[in-house]
Order: sequence, then structure tokens, then C-alpha cells
Amino acid sequence: MLFKMTLLAFLGSVFPVILFNIDRKKIIWCGLAGALGWIVYSIILSITDSSVISSFFGAFAVNIYSEFMARIIKTPASMFYVPGIFPLVPGITAYSTVIALVQTDFTVALNKGILTLAIGGAIAFGIMLSSTIVRLISNIICNKGRTI
Amino acid sequence: MDVKNVTDIALTAGEILLANGAENYRIEGTVSKICESYGFNGECLAMSNGILLSIEDTNSEKITSMKKVKDKHVDLYRIELINSFSRNIEIEPLSYDEAKKNLEEIKQAPNFTMRVRTIAACMTGFIYTLFFNGSIIDGLASIIICLITYTIFEKISQLGFFQFLEFYLAGTLIGGASMFSHFIIPTINQHNVITGAIMILLPGVVLTNGIKDVLCGDFSAGVAKFCEAMIVITAVGLGIGTSLFIVLKGL
Repeated sequence: MLFKMTLLAFLGSVFPVILFNIDRKKIIWCGLAGALGWIVYSIILSITDSSVISSFFGAFAVNIYSEFMARIIKTPASMFYVPGIFPLVPGITAYSTVIALVQTDFTVALNKGILTLAIGGAIAFGIMLSSTIVRLISNIICNKGRTI
Repeated sequence: MDVKNVTDIALTAGEILLANGAENYRIEGTVSKICESYGFNGECLAMSNGILLSIEDTNSEKITSMKKVKDKHVDLYRIELINSFSRNIEIEPLSYDEAKKNLEEIKQAPNFTMRVRTIAACMTGFIYTLFFNGSIIDGLASIIICLITYTIFEKISQLGFFQFLEFYLAGTLIGGASMFSHFIIPTINQHNVITGAIMILLPGVVLTNGIKDVLCGDFSAGVAKFCEAMIVITAVGLGIGTSLFIVLKGL
């Protein structure tokens, strides 16, 4: 099951990125970003049983991966984290919100809507925190080189 | 090299970046880096639909020029090419003609053909339908719906409608077609088909770039991008809601 979902996450990061026109040689690295994010997401989900926290850690892992790959292959980091967060997007909960709104079931709609916002915010915060940490570390390394 | 030529090259590079959906801090950094590598002191201010560049020439007179960008789309390959172009210029400054030729080549860089992009859109719908617990038949229905939606969507966006209307119509089409497929073949679960198929309309690049811009302290650009992404998401949601409403209440 985990293998099948990881493979689907890999393919699910490869195909959307073709719509954004990417360099053909780097497509496979984008797929790996999605697969990595999904693996981290499912491991944390099985431990904590909370999709908000697992989305946060999934986005965190994807962004760390993409910042390091950006420094290795010398490309902008957005190449990797944009496809990487595609499998983490809360598609089902967002859709349930719309269905509940149409059926005028506002309690469920509020529930699902807040869950969607929380997952979206967790992904955004994961990206923010990890890129801040990476920038901090690279600044420290640069400053060390200058003083020595 | 002349101030005018440096301004031309730096602004063209910035224009390509802005038109292809780069982050604002990357645009400002690249433009001032190009000016610096030719030995001029340039200051750049990027907005959501234009770039301002103020450059100081040898008599310490300031020349300000502006470039407006009208149609924007997302193209990661050209951003990468401009990135390596500015890195090359930093190491070894090119002459004006050479730099101009390089920028023209970047503008003419290859795109994926319409057929490849349509296949990719279909496969995205298929993969995400399976990913959200759909069966193979749901996936096949999603392929057909994505094929129709993506072809019509590309045709509509060439006409130049408002962005809100484009995404609203696409959402309505996806919702209606999924309901219709459920009426033809009752084993299809229309909810799985819809959740898979709307992934091709997701504004992933704009949303993440907005987050990065806010993070770098560029609030005006970040909030503008965030709003753009939210409008797209709302439009898709409204479109799907409309078709769900018609089917659930009307029949």
C-alpha cells in the first residue's frame, strides 16, 4: 500500500510539472521530491494521527530537499518544491467543504473548511520555517569563510 | 559598455523573469547583479506587473526606466535559463550583441508541444484520482474529462477572458462532466473523479511564490500573489459548487 502510494506520489509530481514547462533532464528529481514528501507525511501520520502536523513535516522535508538540490545542481529551488507539495494538497477536504456548502450543512462545512485552512497553513509554515533555517545555516557558513 | 545598453539587457532579463512567474526577490537580485557586473550601480524595484530600474551613470546622473509586463504565465525552464545567464555574466561580462543574442535565444527556448501538455494533464487527473482512493474506471473517466477541460481551457485563455471567468467555467465543466459520467456508468464515483480532475487547475507556483515573497519581506508582492491564488481557488470551488447545486437540486 505504501509502495503503491509512493509510486503514485512520484508520478503525481512528474506530470503536473510538465504543465509548468521544466528542463527535461530534471524531471526525475522533481518526482523524487514528491515521493519524499509523501513518505515523510505517511510516517508522521501513522505516529501522530493528525493530518495537519504530518502536512507540516511533509512540506518541511520537501523544502529541505529542494534547497539542497538547488545548491547541488545550481538551479532555483522552486523547480523542486512546487511539484513536491502537489501530493500534500488537501484536495479531498476542500471538496468536502464545497459539497457541505451545497447541501446547506454548515456545521460540516465549517469543520472541513477550517481543516482545509489549517492544512494549507501548515504547508506554508513548513516551507517558511525550513527555508529560513537553510538560509540561516548558509549565512553562518559564508560569514565563517569571510572571517577566517 | 554604455549605460543604455546595460539598462536594456538588465530590463529584458527582468521582464522575462516577471512574465514567467519568478519570485520578486529573484527579479530584483538578478537585475541589480547584472548592473553590478558591468560596473554600474543599479537599483531595481519589481511589482506584480512591472519593473522599475534606476541606474547611475559615470557622471553620477541617475537614469530611470520602466518596463510593464502584461501577460503572465508560469514557465520554470526560462527562469532557470535566466538564472544561469546572470551567473555567467557575473563571471565574465559579455558584449552587448552577445548578451542580446543570448536573451533572444532564451525567449525562443523550446516549449512542450500542445500534445505533450494535454497528455500530461490527462495523466495528472488519472494519477490523482487513483491517489485519492479512486478505482481504475474512475481514473479513465478522469482522463476523458481532463482531456476535454484542458483543450477547452487553453482555447478560452487564448481569447483573453478574465482569469476568474476562465477558472469558473473550467470548474463548472469538470463538475458537470463528472456528474454526467456517473449518470452514464453508475459504478463511477463522481466525487473521486472531481477531486482528481481539479488538480490540473491548482495554482501551485503562484501560491508558493507568494509564501516565499512574504518570507523575504516583500509583502506587497507576496499578498498580491496570495490573493491571485485565492481567487483562482475560489473560482474553481464556485464552479464546482454551481454544477453540484444544479444536479442535486434541479433533478
